[in-house]
Amino acid sequence: MRVDPFYVVNLSSSLDQTQASEEQLTQELSSGLRVTSIGDDPVAAAQNVQLLNTIQQDDSFTQTTSLAQGMLQVTDSALGSVVTQLNQAISKADQANNGTLNSSDLKAISNELAGIRDEVLSLANTNYQGQYVFGGSQTGTAPFTLNNTTTPATVSYNGDSDVNTLVSPTGQSIQLNLPGNQVFTSSTANVLGTLNNLVADYASGTAGSGVADTAALTTALNFVSQQRVTIDNSITRLNDDSSAATEEATQLTAVQTNLMQADIPGVSTQLSLVQSQQSALINVIASLGQGSLFDKLED
Amino acid sequence: MGTINSAMALISGALDADQVALNVTSNNVANASNQSYTREVPNWSENQPIYINGMAQGTGVTVTGGVSQRDRVLNQRLDQQQQLSASSTSLLAALTTLQSSFTPASSSTSTGNIGNDITSFFDAYTQLESSPTSNPLRQSVLSSATALAGDISSTAASLNAQQSSLDQSATTVVAQVNALTASLAQVTQQIQSLSPNQDAGTLEDQRQSDLSQLSQLIGINQITTENNGLSVTTTGGQLLASEGASFPITSGSVNGVTHFFLGATDITSALASGGGQLGGLLTARDQSIPSTLASLDQLAYGISTQVNTVNNAGTDLDGDNGNAGNIFNAPTQVAGSAAAMAVVLTDPNKIAAAGLGQGTGDDSNALAAANLATQGIINGQTPSEFYSNLVSTLGAVVSETTTQNTALTASVTQLQTQVSSLSGVSLDDEASNLEEFQRSYQAASQTFTILNSIMASALNLGVETAVS
Repeated sequence: MRVDPFYVVNLSSSLDQTQASEEQLTQELSSGLRVTSIGDDPVAAAQNVQLLNTIQQDDSFTQTTSLAQGMLQVTDSALGSVVTQLNQAISKADQANNGTLNSSDLKAISNELAGIRDEVLSLANTNYQGQYVFGGSQTGTAPFTLNNTTTPATVSYNGDSDVNTLVSPTGQSIQLNLPGNQVFTSSTANVLGTLNNLVADYASGTAGSGVADTAALTTALNFVSQQRVTIDNSITRLNDDSSAATEEATQLTAVQTNLMQADIPGVSTQLSLVQSQQSALINVIASLGQGSLFDKLED
Repeated sequence: MGTINSAMALISGALDADQVALNVTSNNVANASNQSYTREVPNWSENQPIYINGMAQGTGVTVTGGVSQRDRVLNQRLDQQQQLSASSTSLLAALTTLQSSFTPASSSTSTGNIGNDITSFFDAYTQLESSPTSNPLRQSVLSSATALAGDISSTAASLNAQQSSLDQSATTVVAQVNALTASLAQVTQQIQSLSPNQDAGTLEDQRQSDLSQLSQLIGINQITTENNGLSVTTTGGQLLASEGASFPITSGSVNGVTHFFLGATDITSALASGGGQLGGLLTARDQSIPSTLASLDQLAYGISTQVNTVNNAGTDLDGDNGNAGNIFNAPTQVAGSAAAMAVVLTDPNKIAAAGLGQGTGDDSNALAAANLATQGIINGQTPSEFYSNLVSTLGAVVSETTTQNTALTASVTQLQTQVSSLSGVSLDDEASNLEEFQRSYQAASQTFTILNSIMASALNLGVETAVS
C-alpha cells in the first residue's frame, strides 16, 4: 500500500504536542500549582472553592474570638471585683448586726457601705473601648444612675435586656454579654437595691431591718457568682472553638495544598521524559528529511 | 504485414507518449508542496492493433494526459470531520479565555477571586458581631463588599467583551464563507461545461480546495448533481451554492446580537450546532458565555437583594430603624445584575448591625447578615456552594471540550493521512517514474536510430554510404 508522503509533516505536529506538554509542565513547576485553570480538573477546582471558604471562615473566626475575648475578660474581671466588694459589704453588715456597736459606729458602717455601693455602681458601669458592657444593646450610655435624694437611695437602669451572641463556624451560639438588669437589679436578687437598703438601715444609727437585708445581699452575691459562670463558660467556649478553628484551618490547608499543588518530583520526571521524546523526534525528523531518490539520479 | 515505415511511426508515437508522461511527472514534482494538488498518473493506453491478413499488428502506445488520483468519498469524510474539529477548536479557544476569568485561588488570602470575596464579605459580618459599634469592623464590611461587587462586575464586563469580540469574529467568518461559496459556484459551472462526465483534474482540485476551506469555517452538506455538478447546503439544509448559483448569508442585529440569515430565514441557531469555526464561535457566543453570565447574574442578584433586605431590617449606628438604606445597588431583575453590581453605601455607620428597635450595641442583624452565608439564598444553595457549582460546571465543559478536541484532531490527522497516501505527491515515486520514462524515451530513440539505419540499408539495397 502507498504510504502518506507527508508523514514528516505529521511528525512535526507531534513536535508541537511535546512542546505544548513541555510548556504545561514548566508552568506547573514554576507556579507550583497542578490546577492552573478550572478546566484542568473541574472537581478539584470546585472542592478548592469550598475548602478555601472553610479555611477563610476559620481564620476569620480566630480573629473574631480575640476581639470578643477582650470584652469578655473585662466583664469577667468586673464581676470578680463585684464579688469581692459584696463579700466585704456582707462582713461589714454582719459586724453591724451583732448588736455590740453604738450608733456612731453604725453610721460609720453605713458610710463604708455607701462607698462599697458606689464602687459596685462604677463596676456596673464598666466600659470596654467606649462601650458599656452591662447595658444590653444600649452600649452608648452608662447603664446605671444613682438617685440619692430618696431614702433608701434608688438606682435606675438605662439599658435593656438584649443579649449579643457570636456564632462559631460550627454553628454554635456563644453569649457575649450580660445585661445589667439581670446582674445588678434583678427582682429576685437586687444587688444595688439591697446595698441601698443596708446603707439606709444603718444611717439612722440603729440596725433596723439590717439582718433581713444582709441575708438578701448574700442571696444576691450567690446570684452574681452564678452569672459570672455564664461569662466564664463563654470564655472557655471561645477558646475551645478558636483552637478548633485554627486546627481545622491547618488540616484543611494541608488538604487544599495536596489537592492543588503540583507533585514536583512527578512533574520533573515527566518533564525530563518529554524532553527526551522531543529531542528524539527532532533527530528522527532531521534524518528523515535527508535522502531522496532524486539524490541518486544521474543524467 | 508490418513495414519499416510503420515501425518508425509506431516508435515516434512512443516518443510522444513518453514526453507526455514526462510532462505529467514534471507537473507532479512542480506541485509537490501544493496542499490542494492531487497527484496525477499518466494514462497509458495501447493503440488499437490493425489486422493484416488475419495477423494482429501492434500500433504502439498513447498517453492521454494525467489522471488525478482522488477518492471523493474519502475527501468528503475528511471535510465532515474537519467541520467537527474546527468547531470544537474554536469553541475550546473561546472557553479557554472564558475560564481564565475563574482561575482557582491558590490560597485563602488570594485576592481577585469571587469565591474568596464571598467568604470575606460574610466573614466581615461575623467579625462585626463581636463589636457591633466598631468603626474599623464596619469599614471592613464595606471594603469587602466593594471588593466582591468589583470582582463580580468586572468579570461580567470581561464576559460581555468576549461575547462581542466573538460576535465580530463570526461576522468575519461569514464574509469568508460567502466568498468561498461564490468561488465554488463559479468553478462548478466551469466543471459542468468542460468536464461533465469525468474527473475535472485541476478544476476539481480547485473545487475540493474550496470545499475543504469551507469545511474549516462552516458545517456543510455536499450533494452531487448531474453533469458533475455540486450543491452545497448548511448542515441545517439551507442552500449555500447550487451548481452555478451561490446564496450569500446576510447578517443583521437582533437584540444587539448579530444573527445570520439565508433569504428571510434566521439560521443562527442551526449554524451554531452545524460545525466549523462558525459553529464553535456561535456556540460560545450564544450558549457558553450566556449560561456562565446567567449564573453570575443569579449570584449577584441573590447576594445584593438579600443583603439589602437584611440591612433594611435592622438599626444602624445613626439610629435609623428599618430604613438604613441599601448596601448594594438594588437590581431590578436578575439579568444584568452581575454587570451592574456595585456598592452604593458610603457611610459605614449606615450598616444596620443591630436588630430592629434595639440599641446600637446589639448584633442580631449582623448575625442575620452573616447567616446568609450558610443559607440557600441562591437557587437553594449557599453563595459559596453556588459559586463552587458554577466553577465545576464550566470546568467540566472545558475539560469535556478538550478531550473531544483531542479525539477529533486525531481523527482528522488519520483521515488526512489516508487522503495523502492516495493523493499526495511522493518525490521518491516521481524520481523512479522519471528514471523509467527517461529509460523508455532513450530506448525508443535508440530503436528509432536503428530503424533509421535499417531504412538506409533498404534504400541503398546493401550498398554502403550512398544514403546514410
